[in-house]
Amino acid sequence: MDAFRQEIIVGAVAVYMVFCVLTGLWAMRRTHNTSDFFIAGRGLGPIVVALALFSSTLSGFGFVGGPGLVYSIGVSSFWMVVISSTGYAIGFFLVAKRIRMIAELRDCISLPDIVAARYGSQSVRFMIAVTIVLGVMGYLATQILAMAVVMQAILSGTATFANISLVTCVVISSAVLIFYCVTGGIIASVYTDVVQGAIMIVAGTLILFTAINVFDGGMQEATSIILADDAEAVMPYGAAGMLASLGWFFVFGLGLAGQPHLITKMMMNKEMADNRTILPMSLFGYVMAALLWISIGIVMRAAVIDGVVPPLALPDDAASVFLSVFTNPLLAGVVFAGLFAAIMSTSDAFLNIGTAAIIHDIPKSIRGKSINNELFWARIVTIILAIVAASFALYSHYRDATLVAILGAFGWGTFAAGIFPVVAVGLNWKGATVAGAVTAISAALLINFVTQLAGVTFPYGVSGQLAAFVTSMVLFIGVSLVTKKPVLDSDINRMMDI
Amino acid sequence: MRSKLIYIIFVVGVLMAAILITIIVAENVPNSGGAAHPEIAGLQIGGDGAARMEYIGTLGLAFHCLLLVQIILLSLLGVSERYRSNGLIAYMGGTLVFMLLVAWQMYSGHQQFLETDETGYFLGFPTATAWATYGTWIGAIPLILIYSIGFRKYIYTPEDEKKYNELLAEKTELMEQQ
Repeated sequence: MDAFRQEIIVGAVAVYMVFCVLTGLWAMRRTHNTSDFFIAGRGLGPIVVALALFSSTLSGFGFVGGPGLVYSIGVSSFWMVVISSTGYAIGFFLVAKRIRMIAELRDCISLPDIVAARYGSQSVRFMIAVTIVLGVMGYLATQILAMAVVMQAILSGTATFANISLVTCVVISSAVLIFYCVTGGIIASVYTDVVQGAIMIVAGTLILFTAINVFDGGMQEATSIILADDAEAVMPYGAAGMLASLGWFFVFGLGLAGQPHLITKMMMNKEMADNRTILPMSLFGYVMAALLWISIGIVMRAAVIDGVVPPLALPDDAASVFLSVFTNPLLAGVVFAGLFAAIMSTSDAFLNIGTAAIIHDIPKSIRGKSINNELFWARIVTIILAIVAASFALYSHYRDATLVAILGAFGWGTFAAGIFPVVAVGLNWKGATVAGAVTAISAALLINFVTQLAGVTFPYGVSGQLAAFVTSMVLFIGVSLVTKKPVLDSDINRMMDI
Repeated sequence: MRSKLIYIIFVVGVLMAAILITIIVAENVPNSGGAAHPEIAGLQIGGDGAARMEYIGTLGLAFHCLLLVQIILLSLLGVSERYRSNGLIAYMGGTLVFMLLVAWQMYSGHQQFLETDETGYFLGFPTATAWATYGTWIGAIPLILIYSIGFRKYIYTPEDEKKYNELLAEKTELMEQQ
């Protein structure tokens, strides 16, 4: 079977992509208006929402960057994963009920819609929409680039596609993504997410068992090897140190409730009471899939230190080298399909919220009304957004490698710092004001941009993202407390009493 | 506490900001955020753990504890004020104590290793790391349980559902009139 390794992997990925295209065609018949296109008409069941939620959380970063980070900095990277139970809990306590209620009450189709309804302010809507577009560009570009790089690595191992270029891979992978997002909108996205989520759970579980068996002494032997080389790398705070780890706890834990591509999914369930089952199901899926992140990273670090595997050219090669050295071809095929699933499930969510911000929210905040024929323009802008992000990814790859990295890193931290206080806290506190919201978003954008662009680093691994998040939280509440108490619209006021 | 929750959240936020500033201006040690592995390109090492913790260890622990307090406070903020009963607050308090215990176990276990250079193992990881890995994951499970099991008691009660449906009906009627 090993002789056909590349063919099996290519076959698994091809089957997965054909499935995505077919789902897009199926969902197109169910997409009649913008509500269907952006929030699936608020008609999804709990299993679909749960799988869509967790598979959108675990992007390609979780399958490529995550194991690479554990390989590089040890246990520090665990903190991005083990906070998932806290992150999901906070997200559901603060956001799930209220966002679903406002969405139905005001017929909202996007997060900026929710914010505009809550604060009665077009300025806040505009700022959230701009924050989303900025974050989406970086995120989307990194995802498309990751997808193309992995595709090139897979295809170049076959005789037929040995010399395939990165541009061709960007075109192929983007074309599949664009097709199902344009034809089926969020309905295609969430139903592909269901399969993507299932693949990710299977992949994570199988990889854990494979990783445990790499060393005769199991995971304990792997961690002992790392401990003997550098104890700090496998101690609770890892090589990056205590504050870097706690910073990730803060930004990834609390910040999960500020990620627009995730909390928008909380608007889509049919019944409010479904939230009680969506939460544990999402968490279970995430934990199972994330086992891959931790186990590959630890085993690869130990294997390189022990001389079992030569040092990797790049930390991000950890997952692909692990798959080629330690797994059988069938499992490698499933995991590579899972990798594409992880990347695409996040990319489609970003395409969706980015498009909504561009065609729905920014025009509404400037002109006071939406553009005509939103569904048509939603499909056009989805194509344009994906093409721009793909071009941006290629430009960055060939001309300026820092661009995508900066915007990619900018994404999660900015969403966390800019959106969490305004949405998660603001939906549960009547005293939150427009001034508080504008100040918090401005501070989040400013601190994140300045620290990223200027390359500012703080001692002890304190990150700019952590500084931005703590600052925006304090400013949001502080400024709201000292500014005039807002008069809420009657329906919003009553909703917030529930 | 029930109606002043946002003030407590604010104070905790300010304290966290103050600790961060204190850490940033504290005396730095070389490679406090990690350093390149001397032999293997692409790997980072932590190096001298005791030196890295010398000036900021207690502050880091305090930041961790405040973060856990903030998580519990924010979870309570997500529950309507009238449902923040003594029973719920006691449950959340118990959850916080459990989370703080986990944080202390990982911190003290790490300190103990730095002093003795010896560690036990639990499910594949050094004991302190096992607390961080499994303990942090499990620490928030009580929050998941109270949300799921107590959904109809604390999050969205039958009374809430009735009020919300009335609000929706009024809104629909108003729109039809327009």
